[in-house]
Amino acid sequence: MRNTIVLTLFLAMLSLSPTWIGCSSKQESASPAEQDAKQGSAATADTSADEAGEEAEVAAPVKPFVLGDMLEPFEPPTLEEIDATAEWIEQPVLDGMELMREEQAKQGEPQLSVEEALALRNNSPADNEKLIHTLGRLAPPDHAGVDFDETFVREAQGDLKSTNPLLFSTAMDGEFSDLAGIGMFGFDRHFTPFASKDSVVSWQTSKDRLMDKLVLRDDLTWSDGRPITAHDVEFSFKVILSDAVPIPAVRSGTIELRYVKAYDDRTLVIFHKEALATNIWNMLFPIIPKHIYEDSLAEDPTMSRSAYHSKLEDNPVVGGAYKLVKRVRGQEFVVERREEFYMHQGKQVRMKPYFKQIRFKVIEDPNTALLALKAGTIDDHRIDTEQWISQTDDDDFYKYNTKLTALGWDSYYICWNFKTPFFEDKQVRQAMSFALDYKEMLNTIFHGLYQPSRGTFHPTSWMFPKENPPEPYQQDLDKAEDLLDAAGWEDSDGDGIRDKMVDGNRVPFQFTLLVHQRPDAIKVGTLLKECLSQIGIECFIKPTEFTVWVEMNRTKAFQASMGVWGTGADPDTQTNIFGTGAGRNSGNYSNPEVDKLFEQARKEFDREKRGELYGEITKLMWEDQPYTWLVYRNSFYGFNKRLRGYTFSPRGPYGFSPGMSGIYKAAMP
Amino acid sequence: MTTDANNLAEHTSSHGFWREAWRRFRHRKLGMLALLFVVFLCLVAIFAPMIVGTKPIVCKYKGTLYFPAMGYYVRSWENPIFRKDRFRNTYPKNLKEKDPDSWAIWPLVYQDPYRRVRNDEWPGRPGNPSGTKGSPSRLNFFGTDQVGFDVFAQMVHGTQIALSVGFISMSIAGAIGITIGALAGYLGGWVDVLLSRLIEVVMCIPSLVLILALVAMLDEVSNYHLMAIVGVTSWTGIARLARAEFIKLKQMEFIAAARALGASRWRIMFLHVLRNALAPVLVPITFGIAAAILIESGLSYLGFGASPPNPSWGTLLKSGRNAIQQTWWLIVFPGTAIFLTVLAYNLIGEGLQEATDPRLRQDSH
Repeated sequence: MRNTIVLTLFLAMLSLSPTWIGCSSKQESASPAEQDAKQGSAATADTSADEAGEEAEVAAPVKPFVLGDMLEPFEPPTLEEIDATAEWIEQPVLDGMELMREEQAKQGEPQLSVEEALALRNNSPADNEKLIHTLGRLAPPDHAGVDFDETFVREAQGDLKSTNPLLFSTAMDGEFSDLAGIGMFGFDRHFTPFASKDSVVSWQTSKDRLMDKLVLRDDLTWSDGRPITAHDVEFSFKVILSDAVPIPAVRSGTIELRYVKAYDDRTLVIFHKEALATNIWNMLFPIIPKHIYEDSLAEDPTMSRSAYHSKLEDNPVVGGAYKLVKRVRGQEFVVERREEFYMHQGKQVRMKPYFKQIRFKVIEDPNTALLALKAGTIDDHRIDTEQWISQTDDDDFYKYNTKLTALGWDSYYICWNFKTPFFEDKQVRQAMSFALDYKEMLNTIFHGLYQPSRGTFHPTSWMFPKENPPEPYQQDLDKAEDLLDAAGWEDSDGDGIRDKMVDGNRVPFQFTLLVHQRPDAIKVGTLLKECLSQIGIECFIKPTEFTVWVEMNRTKAFQASMGVWGTGADPDTQTNIFGTGAGRNSGNYSNPEVDKLFEQARKEFDREKRGELYGEITKLMWEDQPYTWLVYRNSFYGFNKRLRGYTFSPRGPYGFSPGMSGIYKAAMP
Repeated sequence: MTTDANNLAEHTSSHGFWREAWRRFRHRKLGMLALLFVVFLCLVAIFAPMIVGTKPIVCKYKGTLYFPAMGYYVRSWENPIFRKDRFRNTYPKNLKEKDPDSWAIWPLVYQDPYRRVRNDEWPGRPGNPSGTKGSPSRLNFFGTDQVGFDVFAQMVHGTQIALSVGFISMSIAGAIGITIGALAGYLGGWVDVLLSRLIEVVMCIPSLVLILALVAMLDEVSNYHLMAIVGVTSWTGIARLARAEFIKLKQMEFIAAARALGASRWRIMFLHVLRNALAPVLVPITFGIAAAILIESGLSYLGFGASPPNPSWGTLLKSGRNAIQQTWWLIVFPGTAIFLTVLAYNLIGEGLQEATDPRLRQDSH
């Protein structure tokens, strides 16, 4: 089961480039899976999942399919040659559950009994701590107390679009792949990567860090009974790097690899182009069964149009802990535990997945989802701040449920576009940051539940500067006005709006702030409008649908844009947001010193030294204010009282190891 | 005999069509009540900044009289002096601070439809509560929404939107519909064929889709954009009715008489025929106003209305939806206002119909 989580990582790490957390207009925030699958790596990611899906749909198979035609010519040496020169260094092959149990053991015994925890209402951080420590405790190694016959009914904030992990494009695609996919790597809640014990026997890295050798387990099988081998991994890699297959999002990280070679059914060597600290993330790509796709791709490289592929879409051959048993579009999809996943030739070889079935009910409206949670028809729900404050304190809620919150690193921001007459000047951007009424935003809009932002990395992360760290901005309208005056933005024509001569034209300080249609984003935008109006700047708010918002950011067709970056696993993903000319650098920010530090950090393997470099980057960017960083968003979840074993990472209770694998329903006494 | 004849002539002299219609309308209690309600709403809409706001209606500042509340109608009508010298548009504190001799006449209620009133902004007055704590109170008659904006202030200023959306969009629709219907009906022939096809084509254009496309294209969506779209897509019913009336009326004797007297075609169309065709055309216009109000509220409710902050009744309903069990006041007050206003227009329309159409007159039997 744990290596199902590993696939999450695949999807999460699909690219080193950044992705925004988005959602439909109906929901306040993205699902954890969305962060997981789309953000992949740290607060960033490259091509958004939605976008990836759209691209996949529109791209017609115009080119003939040639397997791996995007690969540069490379002749892999023999395994003997490699072994002779590599000077292998052993790398960790771990079990996310064991790691988490060790971590929980260090926390000591829970302060409450389960009964006491279930009777407790979450009214304070201390209560929350007690609840997490008690109900979040993983099942013991012998799994005593787990009811293996239970069904977990999960909230799905959107529909499953594709069951093929290469074609993932929605949050639910990521969730499905978490459960049904197979992968080689995982990361714990601190984003430390490791090879998964469930699928890998050993992992070694060459001394020059240009090669990784993996030996896969021999007891892995696809759901049609065929073994999962290293050849499937090599084949998947080559499919991803085939030009006719329209999967740019999946490809963007994998393309950084030089080659993947299967030397036998179990032995695999991954060749890198350069020795980088980020190579681990490039190795995370989805695996598909070679025997299923090798003959069909030439006819239909889109993997979705032919009758054969359409049939596979509803009856996918999977390698993970669960398989698809029911799919009613727009309503629900159901996965069921695969016995052959944990049993091999009559012997248990892996942990038995905790749920017999997991049912995803599509409920797009958060209010309806909360009502369903209260009625006990779903077992989990991502609660929004409004609901946390006002709708989850009564007997009605606590009858079947409890609620928990945890620190999150998702970051709200306003991006200023440097290629406008307004925001090229650092003083103007700083003035914008001084203008916002942070107290009002934190206390009234976010009900005091989010943390004030201190830059692109979270203060509790290893990337945050230890010395002279940035302190949160406070509203200071006098300072803002001084900065604007100094930047030459003054009300010269006496109409109450500041202006400036730009290229011989008098330009009034009137700009449009692009937000996506989430109520909290609109509220923050409205507050900024009010604040700026006080200092002679007119701001128009333009709420847009998420896909439009993504497209306008991608094409940099905005003056200012508010968004949320999800939590990624590696800080290097931010190169794609703040690097000069980078794909997700929507605001056209450029600071050669920042570029240099990103480059250095990518090549630095010592985490402490790497952290210092990112700390420097944080400070430089805090001075530059290419963004006005607003808040870090915490996680808020409601869980049915029968659920146990939920643990949180800075991205929520899912999307890391153990995450979903650790959750179980307690056996009834 | 002569006296009798005179008496008879006096007795049978016509009051004129409109006067007659008004007399009949006046006897319809519901219609009159509805009309009074709409008049009341018009007054509220016109005087909204004087009823509730945070800008003085009139103030004397540094020796000059100003009318800052006018800024609620059009931003530039508020004197820029209140945005300079770090005055920052905050009146109660800054007026006294920057000019101790200043005085001001304030709106009846100190609240703002576009922002939350903060603590001590008005000396000694607490800030508006937010979240679900803003139930109706002495300071917030209709409560506050989740971010502490006063509901009463939004409803009063929202009246301007509701009424103007109805009036302006239907004025546009009426102008287009009557003109096209008149031309088609009076001129007939190929003009009628062409214009009738045009009407049919426009009938097929869904205004909602047009509005959504417009919202996606424009940076700053205002209610005027919505009014324009509603106006240019909802004139077809009016045009059809006007066409039918014109076809009917152009064959009447008084038109033949006018023609014989040498009146021009345009004079006949817009002077003689139109004034007689107007009454039936007013009915769909009245219903159209109600429909336009509903469209605007619906769009705001769905989040496709004017750019925020937009104190529309629909926006209020939308914010109430998030915590419907707790914030009843965000549903009840705007919901009632929308219901009553739409009902009022429908009652007026119905009353007009009955007052002007002899076949529907209750007293005609």
